[in-house]
Amino acid sequence: MAVTSSETAFRPALRKGPRFDPSAARRPILVFEDVYKSYRPDQPVLRGMSLIIERGELVFITGPSGSGKSTLLRLIHRTEVVDAGRILFLGRDIGRLTHDAVPALRRNIGFVFQDFKLVPNWTVYDNVAIALEVLNLPARLIRTRVGEALERVGLSGRGNDPAEVLSGGEQQRVAIARAIVGEPALVLADEPTGNLDPQLAIDLLGLFEDIHESGTTVLFATHDRTLLDVRPRRVVVLDDGRAVDVPSGLHDEDQAPISGQEQLAECA
Amino acid sequence: MRSGGDAQGKKLRTWRAGRSDLSLHLLTVFSLAVAFVCLAASLLVVTNLAAVRDRWSRAGRATVYLRDGTSDAEATDLLRALETTAFVKKVRLVTSMEARREVLSDDSDKALAALPAAAFPASLEVGFTEDVTSDSLETTALKLRALPCVETVETYQKWTERLSSLLGGGVTASVCLAAIVLAAVVSVIGSTMRLLLHRRRSEVEVLKLVGATDAFVRKPFVVEATAQGAAGAVAALVMLGVLFGIVRGRFDHELVSLLGVAPSFLPWPIALAMVSLGALLGAATAIISLRKMVLV
Repeated sequence: MAVTSSETAFRPALRKGPRFDPSAARRPILVFEDVYKSYRPDQPVLRGMSLIIERGELVFITGPSGSGKSTLLRLIHRTEVVDAGRILFLGRDIGRLTHDAVPALRRNIGFVFQDFKLVPNWTVYDNVAIALEVLNLPARLIRTRVGEALERVGLSGRGNDPAEVLSGGEQQRVAIARAIVGEPALVLADEPTGNLDPQLAIDLLGLFEDIHESGTTVLFATHDRTLLDVRPRRVVVLDDGRAVDVPSGLHDEDQAPISGQEQLAECA
Repeated sequence: MRSGGDAQGKKLRTWRAGRSDLSLHLLTVFSLAVAFVCLAASLLVVTNLAAVRDRWSRAGRATVYLRDGTSDAEATDLLRALETTAFVKKVRLVTSMEARREVLSDDSDKALAALPAAAFPASLEVGFTEDVTSDSLETTALKLRALPCVETVETYQKWTERLSSLLGGGVTASVCLAAIVLAAVVSVIGSTMRLLLHRRRSEVEVLKLVGATDAFVRKPFVVEATAQGAAGAVAALVMLGVLFGIVRGRFDHELVSLLGVAPSFLPWPIALAMVSLGALLGAATAIISLRKMVLV
């Protein structure tokens, strides 16, 4: 079930600056309106997908391979652009952002990938610190916050190790530390447990739950059914290019799935 | 605060790259140095060939042939007068007897020995200072020709013009060669920098992922590439300088007597221009190579 802003303390919606909009705090964090995306004209990945993600939710995105889970996250991150429709992040249309405005969007979004996307010859510390260096924070503050982030993911004391010598699970923890060190409003996780064994995957899910507990919205894309059954969570199933919302998780066979369009209509 | 933070971030990341991939950076600088050695060597040829051309483009001497019957007193007066003339460094009187003796030093040529004494006129060998121009040399020659005791004046201008044009052709050819080498150097630097950046594309990808602006991504790479380009050029100059010093130490005497001038290393302005070129090419190739990578 969606968690509303009155129930949980939230991270700042957008960092204060010349374009800070306080009204953004009252809007859903993500709204998908009739989104279309295809890489080839005859094979659309998303076909009129609609969905609302409220602030502070942990939502699983699932579906078979090729159903558009990664595409959905890449559209939010503006690595891809929608063909039609809108994706609103805190009320702002991501598709209409200029090239120069994209970095500001990405600074509010932490992204965790299946293949970690670390710089192998950098140290663990450097891989995490880079997310704060782009914010032009002072070096002392960067040191403190990186230390905290590494402690949070269970890697304190490993800061000087090169990333390439770590195990897969440790590398994914570094990637998570990098995603959360800037205290983003939203964390996207694209199959983050895909390269890990089942026990490590469940441990990592626990880490994402901790992040969610601290007020961050988390979108967790996975096709691993065992992870979806660990706890009842909102699940969005991507099927045939559209989103089917299962608010209490897939374990509850009795509940009726809600389509994105119904959700939008309800919201309106 | 903002620019300070940006400068700090740039410093951090530039240092990080140097620290994490030091051997790769050294290899890059060495590759660039090898390319620049070729360019510096061709420029060295151009510089020294131009110096030889300049040396031989003016004869710097003239022979004043005296008429038969010119007295010793007239010849001595003319010698004194020439010694006080502008641009004249030294004057030597060669009498008929001395001229005959010099020519007939090889007594195997009987035809020459049979020539009458009048065939060897007395002359004045005039040496000019290095700053004498062709015009002033020609003016002096004209004035000398007008004197009653002077038969003719040989300034060797035609010979020097031919030699000068030959050496000028050599200089042009070596400049063309240097231009070709420069094109090769540009290509080598471009390829080297592109390979280096391609190897570090994951770094660019991560920077874009965490919300770095294009300028934030680009600046440290451009700083690095500029430094590497300049370092490559400096290393090339040092290598060539050492080699030049060794060659000059061993063959300086022979080269001076062969060429007429002492070989010289690249002048400071050219060396400085080469280092600047290295820095500029490094920066330019980094900007061009990064252009596509940052558009993610």
